[in-house]
Amino acid sequence: MSNNNHHGFFHNLDKSAILTFLGIVLLFSGAVIVTLIAPRYVDPTWTTPTNAYQVQVYEVADPNLYISSAGGERRQFVYHLKQDYTLIAFQESDVLHIVSPPELEKYITRNGNAHLNLTSRLLLLRQPSAHYAEKISTLKKDLLQNWKKQNPIAVEEGLPHPSFTILELYAPTATEAFALAPSDTMLENWVDSNYSILDDTVKHSYHKDPGVIYVLNPMEYRYTKIKTDFGDTWTYDENGKKITDLQELKNPPLAFMSRHELINMGEHIYAIEGCWYCHTDQTRTLVQDVVLNGSDSYPAPPSSANEYVYQSISFAGTRRIGPDLSRVGVKRPSRDWHKGHFWSPQSASQGSIMPSFRHFFDKDPRGTAPNKIGIPNYQFEAIFQYLMTKGTRITPPNQAWWLGKDPIQTKEIIEGMKTIK
Amino acid sequence: MDKYNDTPVKLMLYPAIIFMILGMIFGVFIAFNTFVFPDYYSGEYVHFGRVRPVHVGHVLFLWLLAADMGLSYYFFPRLCGVSLWSPRLAYVACALWWLAVIPMVYSYPMGTNAGWEYLEFPSWLGWLPTKTLMIIAWILFAANLFMTIATRRFEKMYVSLWYGMGALFWTAFTMMVGAYAIYMVPGGISRVNVSWFYIHNLVGMIITPFGLATAYYFLPKIANTPIYSHRLSMVGFWSIAFVYAWIGAHHMIHGPISQWLQTTSIVFSIWLFIPVWTVVDNIFSTLRGNWDIYTNSAPIRFIMLGTAYYLITCVQGPTMALRNINEITSKTDWVIGHSHVSLYGTFTFFALAGIYQAIPTIVNKPLWSKKMADWHFSFNLWGSILFMFPLWVGGFLQGMMWSTWADGTSYAQFHNSLVNLPFLQTVAEMRPWWILRGIGGIVVLIGNIIFAINIFNTILLKPSEEVTDLPTTIKVQA
Repeated sequence: MSNNNHHGFFHNLDKSAILTFLGIVLLFSGAVIVTLIAPRYVDPTWTTPTNAYQVQVYEVADPNLYISSAGGERRQFVYHLKQDYTLIAFQESDVLHIVSPPELEKYITRNGNAHLNLTSRLLLLRQPSAHYAEKISTLKKDLLQNWKKQNPIAVEEGLPHPSFTILELYAPTATEAFALAPSDTMLENWVDSNYSILDDTVKHSYHKDPGVIYVLNPMEYRYTKIKTDFGDTWTYDENGKKITDLQELKNPPLAFMSRHELINMGEHIYAIEGCWYCHTDQTRTLVQDVVLNGSDSYPAPPSSANEYVYQSISFAGTRRIGPDLSRVGVKRPSRDWHKGHFWSPQSASQGSIMPSFRHFFDKDPRGTAPNKIGIPNYQFEAIFQYLMTKGTRITPPNQAWWLGKDPIQTKEIIEGMKTIK
Repeated sequence: MDKYNDTPVKLMLYPAIIFMILGMIFGVFIAFNTFVFPDYYSGEYVHFGRVRPVHVGHVLFLWLLAADMGLSYYFFPRLCGVSLWSPRLAYVACALWWLAVIPMVYSYPMGTNAGWEYLEFPSWLGWLPTKTLMIIAWILFAANLFMTIATRRFEKMYVSLWYGMGALFWTAFTMMVGAYAIYMVPGGISRVNVSWFYIHNLVGMIITPFGLATAYYFLPKIANTPIYSHRLSMVGFWSIAFVYAWIGAHHMIHGPISQWLQTTSIVFSIWLFIPVWTVVDNIFSTLRGNWDIYTNSAPIRFIMLGTAYYLITCVQGPTMALRNINEITSKTDWVIGHSHVSLYGTFTFFALAGIYQAIPTIVNKPLWSKKMADWHFSFNLWGSILFMFPLWVGGFLQGMMWSTWADGTSYAQFHNSLVNLPFLQTVAEMRPWWILRGIGGIVVLIGNIIFAINIFNTILLKPSEEVTDLPTTIKVQA
């Protein structure tokens, strides 16, 4: 009705147009409410992590484990330990014995004791001081006797005995410390039964979880600067210089990055390199998928929504012209394999159409490396750490699906021995 | 003719045609450099993962959506019987659009990909808030067209206006969801879900309604015959409005999302048959008894072939959403074939037909060469068949190969099947199909280069001697 008496916007946009508009808005908001807003309230797996291990590995371990390859090709691993925060265990073994002043005695889990003692007190191990010299020589004799008793055949054949380590437990005055960490850190130390936290009060909410990640037998990380033909660098040295604070750890020349930072950077690299155009990141609820991603003996459990809750971008993906990556941390855990594969995918997996990613490597500054593969740079470390999160964090290590302890029993389901309710 | 200001149409269409050619060159490049001669040109800036989004960004945003915007600047005023509400606003919108989208698309090789499909846009490029600028450009564009409708002279609104209005609203909303709301939901599957909502709405509620609006406008215009049924087209419109927003989750069937959401998306996917049949029936019935024009006019052939492909895409879409078919087709090259049949086979063809009608009208000259238009169609016909069918067949076979890993009753048997047919073998089996696809891509590219030359000759050169009857009908109509 474009009547000359009326010129209002709504009048000109006649009734049917207004109805159209309202109808569109109504239908659209219905869809938005049901398919976009409702699901995460209806289905808690969309927002809740799978288990306490997943929570702690992302929230406790990743931000406090530092990695650097600035000191050359050998990577360095450092734990950032914090008073009243990091749970630490001091556990003896056949070859390790711990001495301590009497007041710290209770924190040591002696060899053979199945009950693990943990504490959030900041304690460290070091080479024993002269004060213990006498005690140590008798201890070493005892350990040797013990070993001989347990390995009579080795003694008969004159095999050398293992080297026994004796360390001293002490309480540093600082509230934080940097400790040498093992280099195979894909899985964290985890205990969920037969343990106690020997603190008067429980300091952190995750200490009340049904299981805890802990740091085992930490020793302080020290380093020495060294001069080489190709420039100044540094190396681990147990008698070297202390790291005073986090800034020193993160700044050059040490240039450590936390695993949390590396994983986030890896996610970014995964996005900008477009890995996700060819690789999916989901084990679907199909037999072929759990088989494709499974190990030799066990199928991989299908992906569940809560695997992804700690990601900022999730790459579920559209197409596979490279294999699915949701379980790659278990299927391909070797860093060397990934080095070779990123450098030349066709040599590592024949028939692959993947491009090579040589910008993940710096040229060997000395030119003396035994192979032609360059030295991996931080981009490689980031993408590697990111990939290693895939499939390794869905269960605690003691319930790992690749050991046949799959909590949802994927194998029984696909073999038809169990039906899904 | 003077009463319509067509400068905004030119500002969108001319660059869009050039970007279509560039985008297809990028497409052919990756078809060969990744799939036929893997990693022949290798390195940080040219490998598949960095060039693929450049191809998609070109054909989707620099070509198809831009061309649809240009065509909207053309047919909205003509259907309203008034000039564009504000040409000046349109200049600003066009400038912002190109200023935002061109740098974004060309920045992907430098590592700015944001990691969400069809939404790789970086928020900032230096001091340029590109993603926001793009959305502002769209809102200005939409406001201009809404105001044109509000000030229109023709009382009755033709179906193209309905589709156009729907698309203007849906696009603004969908883009804002994709650009901002995706970061407001918790990380993980919630974001993946939003991303699929965005992706499917981009195709279903932006490209589809615009494409259908152009088809519904240009087919009767070129064929000089009224649309078969206005009512049928209304049914199509409302069923699209009803159905599309629900089905994003069908991209995650068997995936880590809730089963009820998968089922919902499947149910709504089946509903898609309704809008499809209305469109296909309506367009074919419009030409009933008038099929001689099909042989005479390349743009008509583009619309009809586009409609045939629309039927294919929309039979594929809902059936691919069924759990048992999805098990085979999903995550294979079938999906790539499916996305090309809708975005290239259908909606690019509709846009090409629209350009064939719009450009001669705007420049008031006949099309430079009808023969070149015929060749353009023939190349696209054969190229598209050579391009898409190998992807469907190859993808389907790939899915069947994957399904052999489910042969057996014990894990040992399943795993043995995988050992006998390793994943990489199923990739190697795709090679012949990928070669055919690459050849098809070259044929399509040649055809569209002919098109670009023809169109720019129409614009720049004096009319050739060749007689063409196309513009005379247009003059009568416009």
